[in-house]
Amino acid sequence: MAGMFRALRSEAGTESTAALRDLADEELMQMVRRGHAAAFEVVYDRHADAAFSLAYRMCGQRALAEDVVQEGFLSLWRSGGRYDRNRGSVRTWILGIVHNRAIDALRRRTVRDRGRISDDGLAERLPAPQRTELEFARREESREVRDALQALPQEQSRVIELAYFGGLTHVEIASILEVPIGTIKGRMRLGLAKMRMTLGDPSEVVQ
Amino acid sequence: MSEQRGHPGTGGTPAEGCDGNAAPYVLGALSESEHDAFVRHMADCAVCREEVASLQSVVSALPGAAPQLKAPPELKRRLMADVRADARRRAAQAASAARADAPRRRWTTWRPMIAAPVAAGFAAIVVLAIVLSGGGGGAPRLIRAEVTAPGASAYLTVSDEHASLTVSKFPPTRLGEVYEVWVKRSGNPEPTDALFNVTSRGDATVAVPGGVRGVRAVLVTAEPDGGTSVPTTTPTIVARLD
Repeated sequence: MAGMFRALRSEAGTESTAALRDLADEELMQMVRRGHAAAFEVVYDRHADAAFSLAYRMCGQRALAEDVVQEGFLSLWRSGGRYDRNRGSVRTWILGIVHNRAIDALRRRTVRDRGRISDDGLAERLPAPQRTELEFARREESREVRDALQALPQEQSRVIELAYFGGLTHVEIASILEVPIGTIKGRMRLGLAKMRMTLGDPSEVVQ
Repeated sequence: MSEQRGHPGTGGTPAEGCDGNAAPYVLGALSESEHDAFVRHMADCAVCREEVASLQSVVSALPGAAPQLKAPPELKRRLMADVRADARRRAAQAASAARADAPRRRWTTWRPMIAAPVAAGFAAIVVLAIVLSGGGGGAPRLIRAEVTAPGASAYLTVSDEHASLTVSKFPPTRLGEVYEVWVKRSGNPEPTDALFNVTSRGDATVAVPGGVRGVRAVLVTAEPDGGTSVPTTTPTIVARLD
């Protein structure tokens, strides 16, 4: 908390940027709520790669992914006061905003278009460097989540990917796969339950 | 093992009325109407709430399954340019508000939940003031807004260059949405940081940030939580100043 006040006192200088980088996300969000652009920039720097990765995975097009991330972070800037730490970490909140924005963008397209997009996305990967210990830890965490998803029976991982990354509703997935809706719901539930067992408590992820 | 199971401890079949929607809900795979219905259902179903909490922790980790990429530097440049411009605008608004008289500042910064019960009385006083003063001079100007909601009403109270919007009997926004206030000068509507929702009685009072100098109309739209930079829905309130 003392760090936050130091940063607030000297928000124009480079010293303040260094002080801000020592603050926790929750403290930074208190400053964002008061319109502190430098605090917002630190929050962005911490989570932009994850947000862009998610948006790009969902949208499959760089320009659309950038629009989704920009709109999501602008929303965060304008609604910083709405963050409630009791409902999860800042990172989870941000990624939730980006996920919802990407779903909105995807659902403005036809189901057929969305099917094509994921293939385009695989062709345009932009690898990120691993520089810090934190980034390394996050890479490890990503690998574990990917492994857990890929370890599921294919019919379960497929419905989870179509729903979460493809932005499709369970009814649309049932139509595409020509499987009863109840079966789709069951596959989603079983797949998520298995991942939970594999990952332990994923709420304790690297923030 | 059967592919479709119910809640933990419920014998393997979905509880009555639950429809197995917890998993599609946390994955964002329900339609808007299904989503709203499930949220209402969860209010009365502890089993579904527990299952959602359990599955949500997994979904929170799912972004990690995406290939991890570096956000383009030009994205940050564009975003921070918008944010810094908005921060300067807010600072200018704060400076402008500091020059306003203290009693009005105290009024306009009340939260809608607190202000709403007295909003109707406030509007009546303003009307009375206008009647008594003949509507001229320095008296507040009361502008009746056009509204789309049946039975609802909205008034814009303008005093000098400051304005506040009072709404009554307005429907609440849908889950995940908020009312956003816009100002329209000569071009497209400009976003403000005034986001609000109404009380259970449909009332709210909100200040129009930055005043209304050069503003031709004040608009309100329903937008995704957190607001947007361009309107995505038709205005539900239009208050014309010219």
